[in-house]
Amino acid sequence: MSHSDLYAEVDRSAYTNALAKNSPITKTFFALSALAIGVSAQSFVVPIIVFILCTCLSLGFAKVKPRLYLGLFVYPTLMLILSCIILALFFGSGQSLIDIPLPWTTWAIYKSGISISVNTFFRVEGALSCLFFLVLTTSINDLCVLLRRIHMPQVMVEMSMMIYRYIFLFLEITEKMILAQKLRLRRSGWLSSIRSLAMLIGSLFIRTLDQGERTLVAMTARGYGGEIRILDDFPAPRKIALLGIAFFDVLLIVLIFLTLNIGVV
Amino acid sequence: MIFKLENLSYRYSDGTLALSEVSLSFARGERIALLGTNGSGKTTLLNHLIGILKPSSGNIYFDDKPLAYDAKSLQNLRKRVGFVFQDPNDQLFAPTVKQDVAFGPLNLGQTPEQVKKMVDEALETVGMSEFKEKPPHFLSLGQKKRVALAGVLAMQPEVIIMDEPTSNLDPRGTSEILRLLLQLNKGKGITLILATHDVDMVPLFANKLYILNKGKLVAHGEPKQIFSDTELIRQVNLRSPRLTHLFEVLNKKNKLPIDEPLPLTIGEARKEILRLIELSKNQKKI
Ligand SMILES: Nc1ncnc2c1ncn2[C@@H]1O[C@H](COP(=O)(O)OP(=O)(O)O)[C@@H](O)[C@H]1O
Ligand SMILES: [Mg+2]
Repeated sequence: MSHSDLYAEVDRSAYTNALAKNSPITKTFFALSALAIGVSAQSFVVPIIVFILCTCLSLGFAKVKPRLYLGLFVYPTLMLILSCIILALFFGSGQSLIDIPLPWTTWAIYKSGISISVNTFFRVEGALSCLFFLVLTTSINDLCVLLRRIHMPQVMVEMSMMIYRYIFLFLEITEKMILAQKLRLRRSGWLSSIRSLAMLIGSLFIRTLDQGERTLVAMTARGYGGEIRILDDFPAPRKIALLGIAFFDVLLIVLIFLTLNIGVV
Repeated sequence: MIFKLENLSYRYSDGTLALSEVSLSFARGERIALLGTNGSGKTTLLNHLIGILKPSSGNIYFDDKPLAYDAKSLQNLRKRVGFVFQDPNDQLFAPTVKQDVAFGPLNLGQTPEQVKKMVDEALETVGMSEFKEKPPHFLSLGQKKRVALAGVLAMQPEVIIMDEPTSNLDPRGTSEILRLLLQLNKGKGITLILATHDVDMVPLFANKLYILNKGKLVAHGEPKQIFSDTELIRQVNLRSPRLTHLFEVLNKKNKLPIDEPLPLTIGEARKEILRLIELSKNQKKI
């Protein structure tokens, strides 16, 4: 999957998943509280529970395609593995696990280093699963309405709305421009591809300015007076769902304390 | 008169004289076509009607009063006159169809309940209800155009202006949009002002035709009359509708006794052909 395809798929999922009609308040409350609890846990136990939970909700309840869900994890996980290897090899102190003799010194790998590395790995994966659950099940529209409800500054909400819309418009335009260049036999050499890219960016930049102006005119024609009002009509969250999540959160927090000292090694 | 222009001229800042001395008046309930080649000044003229452009010279009257350009008057004007832009991508900016259609009514200060009702009605009218919660980039061009129209309908305007309503649409999309517009005109009495370069589209909906050429108004009247003046049509680099052209050739080359004005629509053509058949039958009898 190319990058733009991946974004488009995430976007499609946000509108078409089985939980799309559920209150964004419930979904956001769940995802953010699980995220906060997951990252504040000392050991890997609670993050793994959070990860399993979010994965079950995303795949089982929201019916997100497993290929898409797991696809999102690929790049961050590769980065994460690299970082965790470094953590394991170079961090930690106290009692060493393995001593590797080098000509000039001995290189110690510590128990605490490995434990930091493993905990970090699961904490990050748990956090990612929360965020992915949120973006895969909640549309930008719903998030904007929510931001408006919690009194985020107007500009921020308006910017998010419009940036979202125009990302997709300009992706479309860029694809068309690249196709047009290809059809006119864009040469594939390194230098000429740089030149084509420069031209592309140049004309895209002009297009954005132009687009901004035309959109403003169109908005003015519909009575825009400096503020975008948003139609806020999503369903009230089910009390029982919110209570359930809160109860579960408390359980997880208790579990954090119970598992404080569990380590891998 | 809902709109009246007197000697309207407009010069863009780069010096292009896009309109020169245009005078015309549009009456309530009319279905107006503004016909001209690309660059003839149609968009420039339309932009004047909702106060996006101010005339370099000349006067504009809306509802018999001079157009005022203070925020409040403009707001009032734009509430009563809806404008659908040529490229729906310029118009659709919100993350979902519903949110976009709600934009206009919310600007008018309606309550959320009213807005919801208007949005539902407008989407129902254009047949896009099932796409309510979808983002614009999920839609085809024809669907985007219909949503853009819904965005204007939801404001319940008296006049709808559309710039090139059928450009880039396939035949099916074209006839759907036109049928919709006719319904709005006949059912709700909404005045329609459509700019187009598509000659074949004009007979399908217009009862008044204005022809622009290089910023000048060169003819106006009923489509039938104007298309009968084939000389003029050629002068301004347009052509007759295909049907009309056929009858013109039958008349000139084959000397068939076709009645003036020449037929424009399939219905009229059918009548004319039946009349010709009757005629030839009668001649044989004699
Ligand atoms: N923003 C602009 N700046 C300068 N000239 C313009 C601008 N927009 C249009 N024109 C010129 O004004 C003339 C009329 O344009 P327009 O009203 O867009 O015609 P139409 O809509 O009939 O195709 C054209 O010659 C065009 O090049
Ligand atoms: Mg135009």
